[in-house]
Amino acid sequence: MVEANESRLVKAPKEKKNKKKKNTMSQSTAVEEPQQLETNSPLVDKVLSENDDTERESGAGEHELLEDEEFVRTGNVELSNEVHGLEDQDEGVEAHQGVEESDSSEDEVAPRNTIGDVPLKWYEDEEHIGYDITGKKIKKQARKDKLDSFLAGADDAKNWRKLYDEYNDEEVELTKHETRLIRRLLKGSTPHAEVDPYAPSVDWFEWDDAKHPLSNAPEPKRRFIPSKWENKKVVEYVRAIRKGLIKFDKPKEESQFYLLWGDDSSSTDKAAHGLSYIPAPKPKLAGHEESYNPSKEYIPTQEEINSYQLMYEEDRPKFIPRRFESLRSVPAYDNALKESFDRCLDLYLCPRTRKKRINIDPESLKPKLPSRKDLKPYPITCCLEYRGHKGAVLSVSVEVTGQWIASGSNDGTVRVWEVETGRCLKIWEIGEAVHRVAWNPVAELPILAVSAGQDVLLLNTGFGNEENQVKIKELMHIEAPTAPDDSGNSPSIVSWVQHDKHDGITLKHIKSVSSVEWHRKGDYFSTVMPGDILFTSDFIALKNVRVYDLVKQKLVKKLEAGVREISSIAIHPAGDNVIVGSTEGKLCWFDMDLSSQPYRILKCHPKDITNVAFHRSYPLFASCSDDCTAYVFHGTVYSDLNQNPLIVPLEILRGHTITNGRGVMDCKFHPRQPWLFTAGADSVIKLYCH
Amino acid sequence: MPKHYRPPGKKKEGNAAKYITRSKAIKYLQITLPVFRRLCILKGVFPREPKKKVEGNHKTYYHMKDIMFLAHEPLLEKFRDMRAYDKKVKKAVAKKNRDLAHRLLTRKPTYTLDKLIRERYPKFIDALRDLDDSLTMVHLFAALPAVESERIQVKRIQNCRRLSHEWQAYISRTHSLRKTFISVKGIYYQAEVEGQKITWLTPHALQQVLTDDVDFNVMLTFLEFYETLLAFVNFKLYHSINVKYPPILDPRLEALAADLYALYRYFSANSRVPAVESQAVSSSGSEQAKTEKKGTQTDESELRLAQLQHQLPANEPGTLMHLVDAAAGEDDDDKETRECKTLFKNLKFFLSREVPRESLLFVIPAFGGVVSWEGDGAPFKEADEGITHQIIDRPTQGHIFLSREYVQPQWIYDCVNARIILPTDNYMVGRVPPPHLSPFVDNEAEGYVPEYAETIKRLQAAARKELLPMPGVDKQELDDPQNLLVEGIISRTEANEAAEKKRKMYDLEKQHHEQLKMELQGELYSASLSNKNMQSSVEITETREEFLPDLEQVVEDAASMSKVLMSRKKRSLYEAMQDLEVAVYQCGYVRYCRNFYFFFLDSLRRVSPPALLKN
Repeated sequence: MVEANESRLVKAPKEKKNKKKKNTMSQSTAVEEPQQLETNSPLVDKVLSENDDTERESGAGEHELLEDEEFVRTGNVELSNEVHGLEDQDEGVEAHQGVEESDSSEDEVAPRNTIGDVPLKWYEDEEHIGYDITGKKIKKQARKDKLDSFLAGADDAKNWRKLYDEYNDEEVELTKHETRLIRRLLKGSTPHAEVDPYAPSVDWFEWDDAKHPLSNAPEPKRRFIPSKWENKKVVEYVRAIRKGLIKFDKPKEESQFYLLWGDDSSSTDKAAHGLSYIPAPKPKLAGHEESYNPSKEYIPTQEEINSYQLMYEEDRPKFIPRRFESLRSVPAYDNALKESFDRCLDLYLCPRTRKKRINIDPESLKPKLPSRKDLKPYPITCCLEYRGHKGAVLSVSVEVTGQWIASGSNDGTVRVWEVETGRCLKIWEIGEAVHRVAWNPVAELPILAVSAGQDVLLLNTGFGNEENQVKIKELMHIEAPTAPDDSGNSPSIVSWVQHDKHDGITLKHIKSVSSVEWHRKGDYFSTVMPGDILFTSDFIALKNVRVYDLVKQKLVKKLEAGVREISSIAIHPAGDNVIVGSTEGKLCWFDMDLSSQPYRILKCHPKDITNVAFHRSYPLFASCSDDCTAYVFHGTVYSDLNQNPLIVPLEILRGHTITNGRGVMDCKFHPRQPWLFTAGADSVIKLYCH
Repeated sequence: MPKHYRPPGKKKEGNAAKYITRSKAIKYLQITLPVFRRLCILKGVFPREPKKKVEGNHKTYYHMKDIMFLAHEPLLEKFRDMRAYDKKVKKAVAKKNRDLAHRLLTRKPTYTLDKLIRERYPKFIDALRDLDDSLTMVHLFAALPAVESERIQVKRIQNCRRLSHEWQAYISRTHSLRKTFISVKGIYYQAEVEGQKITWLTPHALQQVLTDDVDFNVMLTFLEFYETLLAFVNFKLYHSINVKYPPILDPRLEALAADLYALYRYFSANSRVPAVESQAVSSSGSEQAKTEKKGTQTDESELRLAQLQHQLPANEPGTLMHLVDAAAGEDDDDKETRECKTLFKNLKFFLSREVPRESLLFVIPAFGGVVSWEGDGAPFKEADEGITHQIIDRPTQGHIFLSREYVQPQWIYDCVNARIILPTDNYMVGRVPPPHLSPFVDNEAEGYVPEYAETIKRLQAAARKELLPMPGVDKQELDDPQNLLVEGIISRTEANEAAEKKRKMYDLEKQHHEQLKMELQGELYSASLSNKNMQSSVEITETREEFLPDLEQVVEDAASMSKVLMSRKKRSLYEAMQDLEVAVYQCGYVRYCRNFYFFFLDSLRRVSPPALLKN
């Protein structure tokens, strides 16, 4: 057998070496082997048995092979012997049964453990490990404690070969064979000594009679020269690296922040584009109601919250105040992100425009008025009332001396009162509603002109001294029914008739007379009928004011008030200024020297202005209206033409009450005192004093 | 020929030439809508309203100059490049050239916004003026969770947190916080930096709700700009107080989420400006460092070293210069800053764990207080003897130190707004604190002064040691508003006020007399109060009636009198404004009535049980 081996030496030099070493090496391996623990013994056995099988099958093989096989076999015998015998002894053939004995029994025997492939940790605390086939618990063996195991180690010499199989919960004693296997594995060689890792290759193909090789192609060039494309790629990479296109170090993170705004004083350049930058308006700051703990009065009641539901979506309040007892109970705000997003949208989607908004105190709009204290005296309070009329007092007139006033009323009476006492002196029953009463402006001739219905009555009041009375009597006496004045011109319009009852003259008109006015000198008076003016007058008005020259008897000026309908008119005693009251409650002040447009329009009354009046001596004027008020104004006219008249509202006088939708019907100033008489629709005449 | 016919070859004129609709602008710039949006947001370009909308009413118009401004923006080109680069990456990925794709991805082109910021805000003051929105947004995002699906990255959230803390640290350090307000939406702060009032809102430190009706692309673009802006602003501000930016923080404190405190430490360590309270903080800090930080000694020293190294170049001019600077700095503090600095001086606070720590850590040092909290890294412990106030927000407190006061967090905010140390009685544990009022409201303009505002006013006056006229004392000085009005001395509103005051005075006097009377009669006060109260309320209304007509008439007359002389235009304007005022006034009046009603209810509640027993 040794010779046979010799013949093979050339082919497998390593093998020989192996064989030679065998004796010397075996001892050293035996020392190391028991340390290997994880050896799979059944597998080793399997390998062993297979080796036996191949031996039988390939028995009729080639010569060399057979030899080899034999060697393997001897190796095998050796190994099995070693298992039984002592490790350091290299033994012969007789232990052949050992191979059969060490047959793997564990292949057939089912593992004691029946738990399957589950982690053992699950059974860590249980006292059993799985169930057997009859359904009984497989009890765990009592675990040895350390002392026991130490004692066992001391007592039993073979104890080092014992292993605890955790899976099957039993102690396994390694056989010698197994220890040998382990030892070999530890060394890094094949577990079975008989396996030859360097077996010679066998060329099963027969080359001897073959005419052609398998492939006749010449060796390609690429097999022995370096690749061109690879080279190209490399060059490309090299170049890229050189150029810095490919960098291997990571780009380092450097702080990108620096002092952006160095010196502000130098940077005065404006924005690059010429458009003005409109900064976005800042969001509204939170008010009391947004507090987490607002005062009680900010929290809507349940009804209010319910009423929000009835509102339109966009009318509903965006934010309903809530109250939290403590800071810790405040939740996260649901709409935080939404509101932030809305703000973003506003910032970049909303067109921005500059809206001019007046941010001034409304009080500053009011004109600065001179102190009213300096403009005294003017009527402030009501100090007297003249009661007696049954109907609305339509007109009032003050005698030139200021001692008497006459009033005409709706109830068809004309009364004369003493100013200071309020005593009613005389009453004339006219029978028709008295539209207007007017004293003759001449103090010596206290004649009263009264317009009622279609008549104008001239009444002798009976005041004044004897001489005057005689004079008046003379004047008032008309012999003929035809008047001396202008009977030739208009006999059809007016007829002068001596009034028998009241000791006066009646001028009968064909239409109802709405107004009567005396000339300043007391010689003439004018009456107004709707439609045409009977007598010459200075001013005629309906929509515009026309100024006539009485001497030349022609139109001088036309004043455009620009109001809807003129209700009343008054002339400044100096004659250059006119105030006009309109039915829409506007008062126009005309400076006739200035223009035909009103110098100033005062919107004072919400309702019709019934009358306006100038004071004869004081710089006062007044307007009265259907809204039961009378305004008193200060109106200074300067002699200097460059200076505009000064108009200051002074007082609002109240006191009358609305009756039948009318308020104050007439107002007149006292000729000498700063007193104002107002005649109201509530049948009262009031005197306002300073 | 149609009305708007333009002959061929003629140029457009007027609004048609000046303004361009959005879709046309996009076409003109050859970009997509998202890019256009991005550009608009970053450049601060907004639509403008043309006088005449040539293309239709429902379109957005941009000014042509704005669009040209965008067209010349280098960023536009940059965006195009980036798009091309993205395509490259995509191609590499599609060709499975992983190496190339990876290499490309690592060096994606980026852009910086510093030029844009400089362009939009040529001066620092401009940037400060526009800082409100950016602060609010950054603070909001600092509280948001990172959401991968919405591309909100952790890095950005952290950056936002860092920026917000840096800002707060600066404000706190320079004592420029002026007002605070806890609202339902969050906590409002108002600071004054370089004369600019900057207001921002921080959400409550809770999990924020992410809604799906929000386009995060837009928000993130805004955030990108705001982050950069805030970083530059912070840089400038830190520079102005001689502190290096970005600050290097103690990693240990950072890990404990006490960034703000870490920043304070950084300040006190880094800036050479000697300040009393910073020393206090640092001394307490160092004490604590001795006791606690033995384990981390090495880390500490390393950190110090790093900080010192960074600090060295900044300190070259020498300490003398710094001292001079410091002296100058102390001098030019305005009165308000000095007032803010000393509000919580000599007070030591301790925060319980349930109070909003970040907010209070910001507010208390801003007003000169020393603060610690429950948790790791705190400068001093709860058992510290020097603590004067402990801020807690729980129904009851178990263990109580007698040497300190236990107050609810609202106390701090109210103190800050009132600028005085308020009495703590109302803010004790377990009590419902008094109403928290907004410091941003001008009560006079609102037309209604809440009750607690008046209380605070009185307390403030008391703190200033001056006597505010109590109701009932100022009788002589305004004897009769009517007379004054007639004289033309006082205006209408004043007259109103005076009348109101007089009426109140009258009521009070009356009540007082009644009470005195009852006491004299020896009646049980509380028993009779309920029905008395009813009566008095009725009487009050009556007296109001009595007083007013005469007076109101006068007031009204005066108003209408001056109105008479106004021109029509002015008058209508005046009336319009008056209407507004009336609306506001009515609002205030409603509040007033409600308040009175509540007061009435309360008094009823207080007295009714004995009254019922009596009956």
